[in-house]
Parts: sequence; C-alpha cells; structure tokens
Amino acid sequence: MALLALVLIPLIAASLLLAMRPAAATARGLALVSTLLTLAVVLWLWYTWAGTAVTAYSLDWVPAWGMRFTIGYGGIGLLMLVLTGVLFPFIIGTGYKQPVGDAALVNALLLYSQAALFGVFMAQNAFLFYIFFELSLIPIFFLLLRWGGEHKRAITIRFFLYTLLGGLALLFSIAYATLQTPAPHSADFSALAALQLPAATQQWLFWTLFLAFAIKMPIFPFHSWQPETYTMAPTQGTMVLSAIMGKMGIYGIVVFLFTIVPIGTAYWQHLVIGLSLFGAVYAAVIAFRQDDFKRLVAYSSMSHLGLMCAALFTWNAYGISGGLYQTFAHGVLMVCLFYIAGMMEQRVGGNDLARMGGLKTRMPRFALLFMLIVGNAISMPLTQSFPGEWLMFNGLWQLNPWIALAGVVLIVLGAIYMLYVYQRVLLGPDRDVAVADADGEEHFMLVPLIAIIFLVGLFPNLVLQLVDAPVQQLLNTFTSLH
Amino acid sequence: MVRTDLLAMLVPAMPLLGTLIIGFGRRKFTANTAGGLATVLVALSFVLTLVLFLGHHGERHIVHLFNWITVGEMQIPFTFQIDALSLWMMLFITGVAALIHGYSIGYMHDDPRVATFFAQLNLFTFAMLLLVMGSNFLVTFIGWEGVGLCSYLLIGFWYKTPEFNYAGRKAFVMNRIGDVGMVLAMALLFLQFGTLNYAPVMDKAGLMAPNNPVVITATLLLFLGATGKSAQIPLLTWLPDAMAGPTPVSALIHAATMVTAGVFLVVRSSVLYELAPYTQQIVLWVGVATALFGATVGLFQNDIKKVLAYSTVSQLGYMFAAMGVGAYSAGMFHVTTHAFFKALLFLGAGSVIHALGGEQDIRKMGGLKNTTRTTYVTFLVATLAIAGIPPLSGFFSKDSIMAHAFQESPLAYALLVFAAMLTALYMFRLLFLTFFGTYRGKAHPHESPRVMTVPLVVLAVLSAVGGVLNIPHIFGGNEWLKHHLITAADGVANEDLALSAATEYGLMALSTILVVLTIWYAWTLYGKKTTLDGEPADMPFLKRLIAKRWMLDELYAYLFERPFSWLSRHLFTLGEAKVAVPVTVGTGEAAQGFGEWLRKLQNGNTSFYLFGMMLGMVLLLLITLLSA
Repeated sequence: MALLALVLIPLIAASLLLAMRPAAATARGLALVSTLLTLAVVLWLWYTWAGTAVTAYSLDWVPAWGMRFTIGYGGIGLLMLVLTGVLFPFIIGTGYKQPVGDAALVNALLLYSQAALFGVFMAQNAFLFYIFFELSLIPIFFLLLRWGGEHKRAITIRFFLYTLLGGLALLFSIAYATLQTPAPHSADFSALAALQLPAATQQWLFWTLFLAFAIKMPIFPFHSWQPETYTMAPTQGTMVLSAIMGKMGIYGIVVFLFTIVPIGTAYWQHLVIGLSLFGAVYAAVIAFRQDDFKRLVAYSSMSHLGLMCAALFTWNAYGISGGLYQTFAHGVLMVCLFYIAGMMEQRVGGNDLARMGGLKTRMPRFALLFMLIVGNAISMPLTQSFPGEWLMFNGLWQLNPWIALAGVVLIVLGAIYMLYVYQRVLLGPDRDVAVADADGEEHFMLVPLIAIIFLVGLFPNLVLQLVDAPVQQLLNTFTSLH
Repeated sequence: MVRTDLLAMLVPAMPLLGTLIIGFGRRKFTANTAGGLATVLVALSFVLTLVLFLGHHGERHIVHLFNWITVGEMQIPFTFQIDALSLWMMLFITGVAALIHGYSIGYMHDDPRVATFFAQLNLFTFAMLLLVMGSNFLVTFIGWEGVGLCSYLLIGFWYKTPEFNYAGRKAFVMNRIGDVGMVLAMALLFLQFGTLNYAPVMDKAGLMAPNNPVVITATLLLFLGATGKSAQIPLLTWLPDAMAGPTPVSALIHAATMVTAGVFLVVRSSVLYELAPYTQQIVLWVGVATALFGATVGLFQNDIKKVLAYSTVSQLGYMFAAMGVGAYSAGMFHVTTHAFFKALLFLGAGSVIHALGGEQDIRKMGGLKNTTRTTYVTFLVATLAIAGIPPLSGFFSKDSIMAHAFQESPLAYALLVFAAMLTALYMFRLLFLTFFGTYRGKAHPHESPRVMTVPLVVLAVLSAVGGVLNIPHIFGGNEWLKHHLITAADGVANEDLALSAATEYGLMALSTILVVLTIWYAWTLYGKKTTLDGEPADMPFLKRLIAKRWMLDELYAYLFERPFSWLSRHLFTLGEAKVAVPVTVGTGEAAQGFGEWLRKLQNGNTSFYLFGMMLGMVLLLLITLLSA
C-alpha cells in the first residue's frame, strides 16, 4: 500500500492543482505538503527496511506480451525511492524563491514527474519500467518548452529526439528479451534475470540497452544534449533532470545490464569504463574555463556521473556500492549547486560569471553556505561525497591501478574548477552592486541540505546498508558466471 | 581506560566547539572575546593532552567512536590511536597553537573579520589533531584534507586581493596532486592487507620481504602525498605563495604544524619505509635537494616572510633527509624544535610587520633592535637556534640528522652541511638587515603589545632549551625523545648511530665552525648597512637563476597551467561546439522525417498533453485494479 501511495499522492495532488488552478501560494503549499507526505512514506520504508526484497503487487496486465503490473523494491530500488522522496520537497521548495511561470501548472508538472519517477524505481516488470521511464520525462519537456531560457525550443526538441532514440532502443531490447523467456512470456525482472542468453546475443543486446541509459546519465559521447539543456532549463527542471533522472541510467545499468546481459557486460566492460572515465576527465577539464555558472555545474555533473558509471562497471563490491551510494550524494549536491546558481542568477540577472565576483563582503552568509557546498563538491572527508569517491576509487584500483589513477586525477580537476568558480562568484575586490545576502527562506532550503551532507558524510552506513546485501547478491551471480 | 577515551575525545572537541561557537556568533563577538575563547579552548586541549601524556606509559590505546564506512570486507572505524607518537604531536600542536592563538588576539585585533579568523584557526587545530590522532589511514586523511581546506581558507583570508585567492587555490590544488598519491596508496594497502588500521597494516607488512613491489609502490605513493603537504620537490611552489595569509597562519600552519604532516606520515608508516630501501634513497635525495633549494633561494628574497618560507622549505628538506636515512626520531626531534624556532621567527616577523604598519620588505627595515627590543632578542635566539649554534635546540636536532646522514652517505652529509652554511647566511642577512644598521623606512617603529610579546618569550625559551628533549649519549644524555617514540614507531628501533664518539665530535665541530665562519661573513656583508643598493644588473647566470627561484614557477606555468587552460578552452570551443553538438544536431536532422511526424502530435497545447498523460496513468491504474 505504501508503494501505491507514493505514486498516488503526487498524482492526486497534481490533478487537484490542474483542476482547481489555485493561487500561487496555495499551489506551492499543496505541492510541498504532498512531497512531504511522500517523504514521510519513503522514510518509513527506509526505517522498516529489513534487508530483503519486497514485492508488493504482481497483477496480470497484458499477459500475451508478458506485461504485468509488478511493483516492489529491493535495497537498490529503495535507495532510489529515498533519493526521489528526499529531494522533491527541496525541488518544490525552490519554487518559493525562484518561481517560474504559472505556479499551479509548474507544480503539477513536477508532481506528475515525481509520480512517474517513483514508478520507475518500484517497477519490477520491464515494460512497466519502460512506461514510467518515458512518462517521467514528458512533464519536464513541457516545463522546458514553456519556461526554458534562450533557444528553448531547439534545445528541447534535440533533447527529446535524443532520449526518444534511447527509449526506442530500450523498448526494442525489452521486447526482444521478453520473447526469449519461456512461454507464457514474462517481462518481470525476475524472469528476465533468469534468462541465459547466448554470449553472441548478449554482446549486441548490451548496446541497445546501454544506449538508453548512457544517454540518460549522460556518458561520453552521448552527452551533447546535456550541457545546453541543463543551462537553459528553469532551475527546478534542471534539478529533476540532474539530481534524479540521470540516476535512472545508473539504476537501469544495475537492474537491466547486470542481470539480463552479464556476459555482454563483461565483454564490453573495459570499453565502457574507458569511455566513462575519458568523459569524466574531459568534462572536468572543460568545466574549468566555463563562463556560465549553470553550464559549469552541468559539466561537473557529467564528470561525476562518468566516474560513477565507470565504478559500476568494475564489478566488485566497492565499485558498485560506491557508484550506487554516490547516486544519493550526487543528487543532493546537484540540488544544492543548481539552487546556488539560481540564487546568483536572480541577483545578478544571469548566469554569466563575468557579472559576478567581489560579492563576498555583501553576502557573507551566502559565502559560508556556498563554501560548505563546495567542500562537498570537492569531496572533503566528512561530507557525503567522500565515502562514495573513496569506495569508487577502491573499485577501480581492484580492477586495475592505472584505471584508478585516471579516476583519482578527478580529485585534482574537481578542486581546480570548483575553487575557481567559488572565487569568480564571490571573491576579489568589492563590486559596487546592490545584492542581498541569503535570506531566511533560502536558509530554509540550504541548511537542511547541508545537514544531510554532513549527516550522511559522518554516517554513510545509513545509505550503504541499503545496497550492501543486493550488491553481494549481484556479485554472487557474477561469480557463478565464471 | 574510559578516562583516556573521554580525554582523547575532548582534545579535538575543544577547538571544534570553538569553531562552531565563534563561527555561528561571529557577528556578535568582539575581537577579544572571539580570540580569548579560541585561545582558551586550545589551551584546554593542551592541558588535556598533557594529562593524557603524563598518564601514558608506552601503551597503544585505541579510542573507538563509531563505525564510519562498512561495505563488504571493508570496515573503516572512526577511531583514535593514543600512543607515544600521536601524543607527542598533539602536545606540541596544541601548545604552539595556543601560543599563536593568543598572539593573534593582538595581531588581528583591528581586522573586521577577526571572529571568522579565529573560527577558522580553531577549525585548523581540530583538523590537525584528527590528522595525528587517527588510528587508520582514512581518519588521518580526514585531517589531512581538513588542514588543506583551512590552509586554503586562511591563505585567502583577505579575499579582496586576487593574488591571495590564487595563492590559496594553488596551495590546495598542489596538495591535491599529492593526495592522488595518498588515495592510491590507501587503495593499494587496503587491497593488500584488507584493513587500513595502522597496527594490523604494519604487523602484516612487517612479515613481507624487503623491497617487494607492494611496499615500494605504497611508500612512493605515500611520499607523493607527503611532498604535497610538506612542500618538497616537486610540489613545493605553493608554500612561498602561501605567505599571502596573515602571519600567525604562516607561523602555525605553514611552519610549525601542517607542513610537518608529511614527516609524521612517514614516521607513522616507518615499518613500510624500513622495508623499502629503494624508496628511502629517493626520500633522502629529495630531502637533500629541497634543503639546498630552499636555502639557496632564501639568500635572494627581500620579503621577510618569503625568506622564512624558503627557510621552512629547506628545513623540511632536512626532516625528509632524516626520514630517508631511517632517522625517524631525529626527524621528529627536528619537527619539534623547528616548530618552536620557526613559529618564533614568523611571530617575530609578524611583530616587525606590525611595528612598521604592514611593511614586509627588509630593504626598508634596519636598526629595529633598539625600538623593538623584545622582538629583537627573541628573534636572535631563534636565528641562533636555526643556524645550529650550540647549545640551542636547533644544534641538537640538526646535528642528529647530519650524523645519521653521514653514516648513510658522506655526500648527503656534505650537502647538508653546505645547506646549513647557507641557512646561517640567509638568516643572519635577514637578522642584520632587519635589526642592525640604521632604519631605512618611513614608519614609526614601536614594540608590539604584551599579548604578542609573551608568546615570543615563551617560544624563545623553548627554542633555546628544546635540545634537552633528546640529548645524545656523547653529551651524557639519554635521548629521551627517541626512547619515548620507540614504543610507537618500530622504525625508531633500527635507528642506532654506529659512529665513534670521536667522529661524532668531529662532525659537530666541523659544522659548527663552518656555520660560525659563515655568520662572520654575513656580518661583513650586511652587519653595518646603512643604505642598501639595488640588485646589481649584471648578476652571473647562476645567481640570476637562483634569484628567480630556479624558475620553477615559470616552468610549471609553461608545462601545466597554460596548456591546461588552453585545453579547457579548446575542448569546449572545438570538441563540444564544433563536434559533439553538430553531431547531435545532425542526428536530429537525419531523424527529421520522423520528427515531422512527431510534430503533428506536438501541437503546442499543454493541456492536451497533460490530458493524454493523465489518461495514460489512469488507464494504467484502472487496468491494474480491474484485473486484480
């Protein structure tokens, strides 16, 4: 029941918003209450998690195609539900200080997206997963098309076509794999995982599956939609895209690739790690000289995701646990950074870093908040990013020390661009412009996020315990392969 | 044991508490309350450490706080290790930090962000304590990164000057390059030993054959980390730039404590280094080369703090030379005495700068021994100590390193003696130009307030008598510090000096005579200067090269900074804008036929889409419920 509630609460709230079209304040309040309710539900699920996978419902839907309405969660799915549940109140909250357009409509779109995202992470049937996977994007498209920045139409359509391409490949792969299951066909994850496809099939099926996830994260060279989209999207849209939707790629890799095409994964492992790490370094180098704050954060996000993807493909406990753990840490970080970017955009009227600098004297509170977030972005120990990076580096090292070196270089590159952007936003000779310091509402957003940063940094086991057992199970399947 | 646990937790808790209280109340605190509170808390840490220290009898006690990272086979607890080594570090860190905090009350009194300063200085002390107290590599790494961040913040404390911000970033990034080594070393050690706790790692490593690839790689990687934090070749150019920070920061972070973290790490891992003679050779020669580098460049600096910065680089070189010849306790001895006299030198320099209203150029000083009497006398003590004049502390610690170096490699010894002569030369040049002759500036020099001079006097006493900590056998001493540390660092046990008493006396006499001659030479050059000529235009090539700091900064700019910046620009303008995006757009155009079809659906009416979407979701649910 709790699982259905996760989908229904935002769905009902969104529909109410659309039907009643209340004033902005009411609309935001309703949306916030709805996301807080879902937060309470995921926290309860987290608290009561007993370490075993739960299947809530499994109902026939379109039996001929193996489509069943199967929902449930294991530790990894729960991690993603927690991520979605924890971040959405903040994403809705962003609308208070950084409103875009018609509050009722915007919040309805965000809530529809949340409902679909919950669906993605609780679906236990590949078709159901696919449907939610595509549904979650649609409201965001509208958000981008209506309230994006410059060139919103061209960029959104490019983004749409790109993800559509990935989606179709995914749909095809799911259909193909389902047809390989013994009759009556089933697209339930458990049935697909039991498939033992021939090695030759796995080698090509790997790519049709991987394409969708690689675009979603995104991984080099499938990333070219991302920087422009993140830059022009309204802040809340960028948050949903970067903090949660990108993670559907990570989740998909673990749920689909590792279980359906393990031999294919092993076959292409090094190529994917190479691409991911190359892209991670490439994006980190580019980020240094970006003049647009949001685009800089977009490249830094791509850099982090590259490392996470590489870590997953190491196929050892540290790499996979670290990569999964980092989905949470990275999600929180992205909400923080894009919120900060949004605050600056409002204050100086754009994302151009040339308009910033010399503001620290006027914004001491903001400077402290930003510095704490920068500390997280550069993975200072005792912030939440550090345990993830440490585990990922261990995963890479256990695969190959040279690959690990390529990964660890990122801690230098990350420091280079993050400290530089901090300087360009705030430091330098005082600039004679009237900007306000962070106010109460903004503290209301950032202080809890920063509290999460340190709480999880001090006690990463809160998150790691979710993935520990499932990762061990995955690894057992891998060992049985060899 | 419970009492030890509690005390051990309280030691770092004090400065952390200070950071939080002062940090949150920074707008309400006056300079004196913020500074007073910060100082008292660090002094309390010192007292608590002293209690721990006096109750300690060579045992190793692990204080378990909580389990930090647990995944698969990996269990990383958040634990402290209280043993002879960590206690010794804690003792001088909190002691020197308390003095410098107190001094800062006077020095930073008029700064508008004085409370922030003390919050950050307290945070630094907290991180430094974590670094030395950690019972595994990863807890040490928390402190290791923490001190790096505080260093960054405090170097760029006066954030309105872009050069200072650059200096802060440079320090952090160069440290991070070293950290790549640290992280990889930890990954290697974990893979090899299945744990990162010091005790089991060292126990298991002790069973391995000498010079095996694992130990060599691990020690080299750890040493890379040490070169960053402790400003050794090749990662040293950040330290002179770090002088942009307020002078107490230079004294505490960039002279007495943080920069010795690399030495501490090597001593902590002495078992590994003992097994890797190959690495030891590298450490020795990097140390010797850095000692010479710092000492030569120090000769040509005119900024009082820059002279001292290069001097620190040089002295750290001595410490690593000691590590390279396996003289761990000698190195730790020099770490300690250096903390006394170098902190004193920086604080003295700060007092001079304070007296002259911010002037740092020694060419515009002179004759200050009459106007700033206490500063002069204490500065003189520190200068004699660093030059190695008996019986001051620097004599004993430096001599101990040089004797061990002689035993290992007479060439290294000769070079270190030469560096010692250069040390005497640049230090007495500094002393004479600052305090002797006649005043060449325009300010009105005045002695600093009590709150600043009292720490000077305390440090001067410590610099003078610090040698008693480790008096060698030939002087009838019992090498107390060595016997203290032997319980904590196994490498110390192998540290015996096999030289005859006559050789030891000979070496001491030789270096002392050479140093005294050098001081006399410095006196003839700079002792009675009333005016100062500019640098001669036709300096010989070598001299010019040294004056330009061996061109290392320029070399790095051409080799790394500029290419990196160029790459960052062009990967974006070429890689992204000209390749990646057009390819995507091309894909889009190829799919245009498909796009046309899509466009018919995309009629731009948002409500239509929403309706469709809702319809879909409702249908989905209906089907589910009906089929139930």
